[in-house]
Amino acid sequence: MTTIAPPVVRTKESPRSSGGRGGSVVWMALPAFVWFIFFGIIPLIGVLALSFTTWNGFGEIVPSGLDSWRATLKDPGLPNALWVTFLIMALSWAVQTPLSILLGVFLATSKRYREFLAVLFFIPLLLSSAAIAITYKSLLDPSFGLGSGLGVEALNQDWLGNATLAMATLIFIVSWQFIPFHTLIYQGAVRQIPTSMYEASQIDGAGRVRQFFSITLPQIKYTVITSSTLMVVGSLTFFDLIYVLTAGGPGDATRALALLMYRQGFQANLMGPASAIAVILVLVGLALSLLLRRLGGRADESQSEGA
Amino acid sequence: MTNNPISRRNFLGLAAGAAGAAALAACGSDGPKAPGTGSTGGGGGGSASYWSLSGPPGEPVRKAAIERFNKANASTKIEELYFQNDAYKQKIKTSLGANQGPTMIWGWGGGGLKEYVNSNLVEDLTDWFGQNAAVKDKILASSFGAATVNGKIYAMPIETVQPIVLFYNKKVFERVGVQPPKSWGEIMALVPKFNAAKVAPFSLAGQSRWTNMMWLEFLLDRTAGSEVFDRVFAGEKDAWSDPAVLDMLTKIQDLVKANGFQKGFSSTTADSNADQALLYTGKAAMMLHGSWSYGIQTANGGNFVKEDGLGWMNFPAVEGGKGDPSNTVGNPGQYLSISSKATPEAKEIAKKFFSTTLVDDDEKSGWVKSGGVPVLKNSDSLFTGGDAQFLKDMAGIANGAKVFAQSWDQALSPTAAETLLDNIAKLFQLQVSPQQWVSAMNGVIGK
Amino acid sequence: MATITKHAPSPTVTGTPGSRLRRRARSYNWFGGGLSWVWLFIVMLPIYWIVITSFKTQDTYFVTNPLLPPSDFTLTNYKTVIENDVIRYFFNSVIVTVGAIVPAVAISFMAAYAIVRGAGNRLLKVMNSVFLMGLAIPLQAVIIPVYLIIIKLQMYDTLAAIILPSIAFAIPLSVLVLANFIRDVPKELFESMRMDGATEWGTLWRLAFPLTRPALVTVTIYNALGIWNGFLLPLVLTQSPDQRTIPLALANFSGQFGINIPAIAASVTLTTLPIVLLYAIGRRQLLSGLTAGFGK
Repeated sequence: MTTIAPPVVRTKESPRSSGGRGGSVVWMALPAFVWFIFFGIIPLIGVLALSFTTWNGFGEIVPSGLDSWRATLKDPGLPNALWVTFLIMALSWAVQTPLSILLGVFLATSKRYREFLAVLFFIPLLLSSAAIAITYKSLLDPSFGLGSGLGVEALNQDWLGNATLAMATLIFIVSWQFIPFHTLIYQGAVRQIPTSMYEASQIDGAGRVRQFFSITLPQIKYTVITSSTLMVVGSLTFFDLIYVLTAGGPGDATRALALLMYRQGFQANLMGPASAIAVILVLVGLALSLLLRRLGGRADESQSEGA
Repeated sequence: MTNNPISRRNFLGLAAGAAGAAALAACGSDGPKAPGTGSTGGGGGGSASYWSLSGPPGEPVRKAAIERFNKANASTKIEELYFQNDAYKQKIKTSLGANQGPTMIWGWGGGGLKEYVNSNLVEDLTDWFGQNAAVKDKILASSFGAATVNGKIYAMPIETVQPIVLFYNKKVFERVGVQPPKSWGEIMALVPKFNAAKVAPFSLAGQSRWTNMMWLEFLLDRTAGSEVFDRVFAGEKDAWSDPAVLDMLTKIQDLVKANGFQKGFSSTTADSNADQALLYTGKAAMMLHGSWSYGIQTANGGNFVKEDGLGWMNFPAVEGGKGDPSNTVGNPGQYLSISSKATPEAKEIAKKFFSTTLVDDDEKSGWVKSGGVPVLKNSDSLFTGGDAQFLKDMAGIANGAKVFAQSWDQALSPTAAETLLDNIAKLFQLQVSPQQWVSAMNGVIGK
Repeated sequence: MATITKHAPSPTVTGTPGSRLRRRARSYNWFGGGLSWVWLFIVMLPIYWIVITSFKTQDTYFVTNPLLPPSDFTLTNYKTVIENDVIRYFFNSVIVTVGAIVPAVAISFMAAYAIVRGAGNRLLKVMNSVFLMGLAIPLQAVIIPVYLIIIKLQMYDTLAAIILPSIAFAIPLSVLVLANFIRDVPKELFESMRMDGATEWGTLWRLAFPLTRPALVTVTIYNALGIWNGFLLPLVLTQSPDQRTIPLALANFSGQFGINIPAIAASVTLTTLPIVLLYAIGRRQLLSGLTAGFGK
C-alpha cells in the first residue's frame, strides 16, 4: 500500500457536544466497529496466537510454546532487520523533513507558477510503489539503465547492488515518493500563519532567515509532529517498494522488519517465527505512535486529550 | 492430513467467533470468479489443474503437452497456469495452504517434495509405478532419486535433465584474444584480461541467489569431491567445518574481489533473464548457468546461438582438487506430484496424463527441440540439426558424471535452503567472512 | 538541466505591488525558489524518462541517448502490454478500489458521526479508542492471520479477498479525519435540526453529509490511492491471473519483459495514466482537501 500511515491524533473533545443522547447513535458506529474487529483486531490476536505455534504454511498448526519466539530472538536476522528499519526511519525522516518544510514554506505564498509546481510535485504520490520501484530499477540498472546509456561513469554506480548505495538509493526513492505529500501538509500549515505576525517582525527588522526560525517554525510545530509521525510510522510499512526494488538485498542490507517477516513466513515456511516478527512490528508501531503522540500532546497545552 | 483442517478450524474458531462469517462471505460475492481458476483441490467434474513455470524454453513444450492431452481426451480437461520462477515458489505454498493448490504440483523434487510428503499433501505413487512398469521403464532411472522420499516415490520425473554448465561468448573470447579456461587458475587469469577489455568476466543474477549457489556447488565439488555436501545433507553435526569449504569460500570471495562479476550483479534477477542478456549482448564473457539457458538464449538472443556465438563446457577442474572433474550439479529432472486433496476424478486425469502424454514421442521430441535432454530414455537419436552438438554434450555430461548432485537448495528443506541462500548472498556481498559463513551454516544443519 | 534553468524566474516577475513592508517581505526567495526548481527536476526526470522510453523500440533503446525523445516513435510496446491482458487487470483494480472504498467511507462516516454526536457514551469511547489504536497496526503485521481468515471464508483467490481487509484498514484514519470535521459543525445547527424533528439518521445525511463533503473527498481519495496501489494483499491473497490487480501485474511484467525496458516503461505509463488523468480533473479538490484533512 502507498499508505502514508496514521497521523498523530489529537482528538478534540468539544464540551458542547457531550450530550446525553449518545444511546440513539451508537448503532451507527457498529458496522465500522464490527468490521474493524473482524479484520483488524482479531487478526492481531491471531498473530499473537500464531507466534506460539509451529506452522509451515500448508500443514498442521501445532502449538509449540515459546519455540518460535526463541528462534526469532536468537536469529541474527532480527537485530539486522531492526537496525535496517531504524536506519530507514531515521534517514528518511532526516532527509524528508527539512526539504518538505523548505518547499512547503516556499510554495505557501500563492503565485501562479508555484501552484503549477505544486501540481507537478504531487505526481509521485499517485504512482504505486511497485511502479516506482520498477521505474528506478530499470533506470538505475548498471548494464541497461540510464548511466550505461549516457555513458556517464558517475551515474553508472552499482546503485542497488552495493549495501551502502542500496540503502542510500532506497532513502532517495522514499523521499522522492513522499516529500511531495509532506510539502503539501506544510504548505497548508504555513498558509494558516497570520501575515500580521510577519509584518510585526519586519518592523523589528527581522530578515527572512530570522523570521523562518522565530515565526514559521514555532507556528508549524504541531504540523511537524503530525508529518513526522506519518513518516516514522509509515516507514515501518515499506514493503512493496523494497520487495520489488531489492527484495531486501543485496544480502540483507535493506531487509527491514516487514521483509524479514515475509521471508520467514512465505519463503522459509516458518509461519510461527514470522508471526513473532509481526508482533514485534506491531509493538514498535504502537510504541512509536504513543511516543510521538505524547510528544505532541505535551507540547500541545491548549488542547485537551480526548479519547 | 486429516487433522489439518481441524486444527486450523480451532484457531479460526477463536478468530471467527460468532461474528457471522457467512454474512461476510455473502457480502464478498462481488469478486467475480472466472471459470477455470482456483478449482478447489484440483477441479470438479472432468477437469484437473496443472501449474508450472512460464517463459521459454519450457512453457511452449508444456502448453503443447496439455493441448495434446486435451485434444485426445475430449471428455476431460487439464487447466494450466504458469508463473515466473521466483513467484511460483511462493505461490505454490500459499495456494496449498489455502487448499486451492493444483491437482498436479510441479517442482524440483528433493527437500521441497519431502516437506509436502511430511504434510501429506502429495500422493504416494509407488504402487502406481509398480502397476505401470512400462511407464517407469521409459524414464531414466537416475532421475527417480529426487522423487523418492523414505523409499517411496512421490513424483513423476518429467521434462529434462539439466546439468549446470559454464557458458561463454565465443565472439568475446575471440575479440579479447583468449582461450576458454581449463582450470580454476586459468579462470582467475582471464578475469583481469576481460576487465581490461571492459567486458564483465562473468554474468551473474545475484539477486536470485540460487544462481550464486551454483558457484559454491561446483567449487566445493572440484576441491573436495561430493562427500562434504553429502555429510551436510545427512545432517552430520558441523559438517560445513571442512577445510575444503573454507578454501572454496575464499576462492569465491577472491573472484568477487577481482571484479569477476558484472557491476551490479547483486541487483540482477534471473527471472528477467538479464543475466542471459549480458552474455548474448557481449557485455559479459562467461556465465555459469543451468543447461536450460541454451533455450533462453536461442529464443531471446537473436542470431547469437544460430551464428555459433555460444560455447559451453563442464565446470573446469581446480588445481590440486580431489573432486572428479566429470561430476556435475543440477536438476536430474523436474517433478510432477499429484495433490492428495484432489478429487478422485482429477487424480485419475492426472494419472492418465502421466502414463500417456508425458511419456509419448511428441513430449520427447518437444523437449529435444527446446534444447534440452529429456528424462525419457532413448532420445539420443533425436539429437539432430543445429542443437545436436549441445544436446550430445549435455547428455554426455549427465550420463558421464560420476556424481550428478542435486542443487543444494532443492535438496535441503526450504527452511535450511533459505538460510543457505541468504548466507551465500552475503558471501558474494563480502558481508560475511568464510569463517562466519561456516558457523552460520553449521547452525541450521539438519533443520 | 538546461531546459530547467531557462524557466527559472527572474526577480522582476516576483515584484508585485503592495505596501512597502509587504514588498520587502516578498523579495524573491532565491533559496526556496532554487530548491523548488531543482526538486521539480528530480521529480520529473524519472517520469519523463519512463514516458519517452515507452515509445522507443528495444533495438534503439540501447543505442540512443536515453534522455532524448525517440527518433523512431513506436506504439509496439503499448500493443505488447495491452495484449498481455492489462485491460482486465485494470478492471480488477477498479472493482477492488470501488468495492472497498464505498462501504469503507460510508461506515466510517456513520461511525465518525456517532462518535461526535454521542460523545460521553461509554461504548462509543471504547470504539473510538479501538480505532485510534488501529491507526498503529500496520497491515503487514497481520497479513498471516488475514490470509487464514480469507481461506476460512472460502474467498482465497477472489477480488473479495482483497476488498474485505482493505475496508477494515481504511476505517481508522477515515473515522479520525471525518470526526474532526464533524466536530467543527456548530452545535446550533444540530439543535435546530432536532427542533425540526429530524432523526439522527436524517441529520446525518441532510446536515453532516453536505458540511463534511471536503473531508469525505479527502478520505475517499487518500484511501482509494492506497487501495489502488496496494501490493501485499493481492500478492498473498490471490494467485490466478484472472484476479490480478495492476501493481501485481506490473511486478509480473517486469519479470516477463526482462530487459525489454521500453515494454516495462509502457506498462508503467499505461497503468498510471488513468490515475494521472483523474488527478488532472480533480486536483484542486484533492490538494485543498488533503491540506485541510491533514493540516488539522
